[in-house]
Amino acid sequence: MTDAIALADPPVARRGAEPVVITAAAVSSAFGRGVAPLLSAALEGTPGFETVRRFDVADRRVGVAATLPGSPTLGDELDQVIHEACDEAGLSSGRRAQCPLYLAVHGDPDLPRTQGAEANEHSAAAFARSVAKRAGLSTEAARAYTSACVAASTAVADAAAAVARGRVSSVVIAAGYLVDPDQFALFDAGRALAPDGRVRPFSARRGGLLLGDGVGALVVESTSSAQRRGAKILARLAGWGRAGDAYHVCRPRPDGAGLARAITAAMQRAAIRPEAIDYVNAHGSGTEHSDAAEAAALHLALGESAATMPVSSTKSVHGQALEAGALIELIVTVHALRAGRLPVNAGYLGPDEACRLNLVLETGQERPIDYALSINSAFGGANTALLVGAP
Amino acid sequence: MPLHTPSAVMPAEATDPVGDVPPVRILPSQTSATTLADRAQAAGLAVLAASAWPESPADTAPPAVAGFVNSSFSPMAAEVARRCLHRRATITTNAAEAASPCTAVIIASALGDLASARHVAQAVDAGVRIGPLLFFQCVPNAVAGHVAAQLGLVGPVISVGDERSGLDAAGLLIEDADADQVLLIRVEQAAAAHDRDRAEAVLLAAGAATHERSRT
Repeated sequence: MTDAIALADPPVARRGAEPVVITAAAVSSAFGRGVAPLLSAALEGTPGFETVRRFDVADRRVGVAATLPGSPTLGDELDQVIHEACDEAGLSSGRRAQCPLYLAVHGDPDLPRTQGAEANEHSAAAFARSVAKRAGLSTEAARAYTSACVAASTAVADAAAAVARGRVSSVVIAAGYLVDPDQFALFDAGRALAPDGRVRPFSARRGGLLLGDGVGALVVESTSSAQRRGAKILARLAGWGRAGDAYHVCRPRPDGAGLARAITAAMQRAAIRPEAIDYVNAHGSGTEHSDAAEAAALHLALGESAATMPVSSTKSVHGQALEAGALIELIVTVHALRAGRLPVNAGYLGPDEACRLNLVLETGQERPIDYALSINSAFGGANTALLVGAP
Repeated sequence: MPLHTPSAVMPAEATDPVGDVPPVRILPSQTSATTLADRAQAAGLAVLAASAWPESPADTAPPAVAGFVNSSFSPMAAEVARRCLHRRATITTNAAEAASPCTAVIIASALGDLASARHVAQAVDAGVRIGPLLFFQCVPNAVAGHVAAQLGLVGPVISVGDERSGLDAAGLLIEDADADQVLLIRVEQAAAAHDRDRAEAVLLAAGAATHERSRT
């Protein structure tokens, strides 16, 4: 393994001077459209998993996911959440036309079944431009992020960095994944899906992940931009960090060093210490190695605070939304912060020595939340940390 | 996975687990009249090394990468990354200087691993079981992780849908000290039979456009 490599010392994270805030968040999930039903499920620890009816799963080892009813299309769902988010933020049509769209998706859903050179018209960037055009956002500045389970959080971090540097005053970040037969077959073939039909993050006898629909949109902008418009600030985007494992194609680094560096960078940018954080929304995929590595990362980055820090993975409720997952979890985190209530780590069966964390296991836990951390990891050893603060 | 020393600190004449690298000879018209290196410099970034696939008529098929099957996407990305980092090592005489940077990996690709995506779609539509290896290789991050592990690159790992976004993200990562250097890999797999697979890589550092801003 690469543990013996003399890895480079990470530089101390910098950022531009402009404060960054979140002024809108819209979402669709297995619990329906809107933040309220998703937040309610997360706070109550009510899982949304049931037998997939969208396509045939008879030949799969596992046939369960958290899905919206019917056969929604990714384009329509993205249009809906972006429209809602732009309205919530009070972005005029003139402002929208100047606003970039950072879109986190696996790609154009039509691409794999498009033959020959016509496929060139179905690039991820072209898909992002088409979504931007329908939303009245800048097509010129639209871009696509395809970094698997950190695609959306990477988009948020890039947007925050650009806003803080004054490169742009506002960015719409959108992300979408709808459970589909191709990814379902891949995850089933990789034996990644939980055979017992439940996601049990950080728990003894956890058996894997389950996929879930997730489509979301966020407006990130400078404080001055929001204030000029009189927009309501949902939360501050206080810090962000990214770092790699340099370890394996798809396995996380067991000591969690990469994720820990991402968390540290986020705290550096927010200029806070670990004890200032009141809640961690973990990646918590429910897989054996990933959860253990993540617990190690939290101890490495947060030190003594890790033993008492409330932690939960809301994937136990809404499932793994792949490229969109980090955005769904950030939206849950922002609204949990605003509500002063802790989302539940559902599916828990008992302690695992490899995951010694203060998991949120009981519903109804209320406390003031000044800072909350949302962390994610992906194939390729990619790690992200987003730190939000009360407005 | 075997233990590898980062190629950046490896003398050119040493036994090299990543093999021989042909001399720099980037074909002039891969995608346009300019190379990725030209466009990176135009974006204000310093280009420390560059590579491409193919670079000569001898480049007929990229070397296979263990664990990746049925598609040229990841082998091309791994090969241009290997060439690029090796060239940087051979032109840097100060080993400590070559070893110390925190390096990010960015994959930019319009269509991603199209061959794998089409293979999965055909198998699903035909009701045929697919191999477990395809599970991870269908996301571009996977080969970025392979490259990072092989070469000891601990910076952020990012995948985007176009080159311009990759250059923009690279500049911000360097300015904000998420990384000292960025290995930007562009991979474009042929969509039609008459097209050709191609890839380019550049190792980027702070240039004229980023030096001043990164001091804040």
